[in-house]
Parts: sequence; structure tokens; C-alpha cells
Amino acid sequence: MDFFELTTDPIDITSVSRRVIPPECGATVTLDGYVRKFTKGRETLYLIYEAYEPMALKEMQKLILQAKTDFEISNVGIVHRLGRLEIGETSVAISVAAPHRRAAFAACEWLIRELKRTVPIWKKEVYADGEEWIEGDRGAVV
Amino acid sequence: MIGLYSLRHICKNVSVGEPGSLKLKVLFFGATAEAAGTRSTVLEIPPGAASGNALKKVLELYPELASHKLLFSVNQTYARGDEPLNTGDELAVFTAVSGG
Repeated sequence: MDFFELTTDPIDITSVSRRVIPPECGATVTLDGYVRKFTKGRETLYLIYEAYEPMALKEMQKLILQAKTDFEISNVGIVHRLGRLEIGETSVAISVAAPHRRAAFAACEWLIRELKRTVPIWKKEVYADGEEWIEGDRGAVV
Repeated sequence: MIGLYSLRHICKNVSVGEPGSLKLKVLFFGATAEAAGTRSTVLEIPPGAASGNALKKVLELYPELASHKLLFSVNQTYARGDEPLNTGDELAVFTAVSGG
């Protein structure tokens, strides 16, 4: 079963990982993306994530469909957290189940790269000495 | 009665647009919501205007947005600027995304 979700609750990485497994698969690759304390030497206190929720869900679904076309994989689950996140908390989990591991690794890498480029979610870094909305470095997504 | 009169008076002033003009819902998020000072507004544009014309009008109304690298969408799909618009369409204006 594929799934794509936004949540303000903590993400249970193991349950995301186990939900994608069908009988024909032999490997699941799971990315656990979490809040980093130091970015380019600057200390983060916490993050705020915000999404354009209906569009973010549509874009996540598109990514899953594309990944299943381009890679030999069976199931994909993506969960992204919103709201305030403390250091070390999971912000995004992506699990890809495949008959063989190689395709799962490749698809998982492609999915996180595309998610960071196309899914309308933004993070605000709150530092000890200020805060800022992070703007992606990618241009127009069309 | 005074309150009612005032409200009708205000509504009369703000709701009268060009005949046949289109009304769009405009949404802002994150950095664009902070720059615009609001999360949503209603925009009236002339009939036949495309999404790029609507974006241009948003930038005229909220010049603080111009310093950002912007993306925009119509009805939750990324827009190029040539999409035709209808009343009730949802235009969102936001910065390059930074999830993950």
C-alpha cells in the first residue's frame, strides 16, 4: 500500500517502514530526515514547518506515481511533519519497498530530492539570535 | 442600525468591480505570508486575464513580495503564467520550497 501524509504528531519511523511491505518484496529503504542542530556553523533552537496542505498532498502523490513508473519498486510511503519540531525529531520519513534493494535505494534518493524541489512545504529556522524562513535554491518548478 | 448602515456602506464600496470581472482567492505561505502581512485575500481581475496577469497584480498590491524568488500555483497545480482563470480559482504565491 502506498501512502502520503502530513501530520503534526511525532513520526514513528518504524511504523512508516513496516507499512509499505508487500509479500513480493525483499528490501525496504527508509529515509529518516530529522532536525539538525548546526547548519553551516549556526545553532538552530527549533524549526517550524508549514505546508500548502492540499497541494503538498497532490505533489507527494505525483512523486509516488512517477517513482513507481521509473524504478522497479512496489510500495512507497511518505510522511512529512508540520508545526514545531525540536532538534533530532523526524521531519520526513520516506519508505520504499522493492523486490531488490538497489531500486529501493535509488528511488528513495530520487523521492527526497524531488520532494525538496516540488512539494510546497517551508521551514522556518529559529536560531538563538533570530529566525528566518528558508527559501529553496530551486527556481520555477515546471 | 448605525452598524448595519456602516457595514452596507463599506460593502458597497469594496465589492463593486468591473462588470464581468473575475474574483480569485489568493493564498500566501511562510515568507510570502509574512511579507504580505496576510495569509489570504480576494483579487479582482478583468475577464480573460491569465495567471501571470494575476500574479503581476498581486505584486503591485504587495510590493514586499518582489524581493523573493517566487513560485505560484493555480488550483494547487504549479503555474507558468499562461493559464486561463475563472471566478473562484485559487492562486497561491510562495517562495521556492524548503521542506524535507
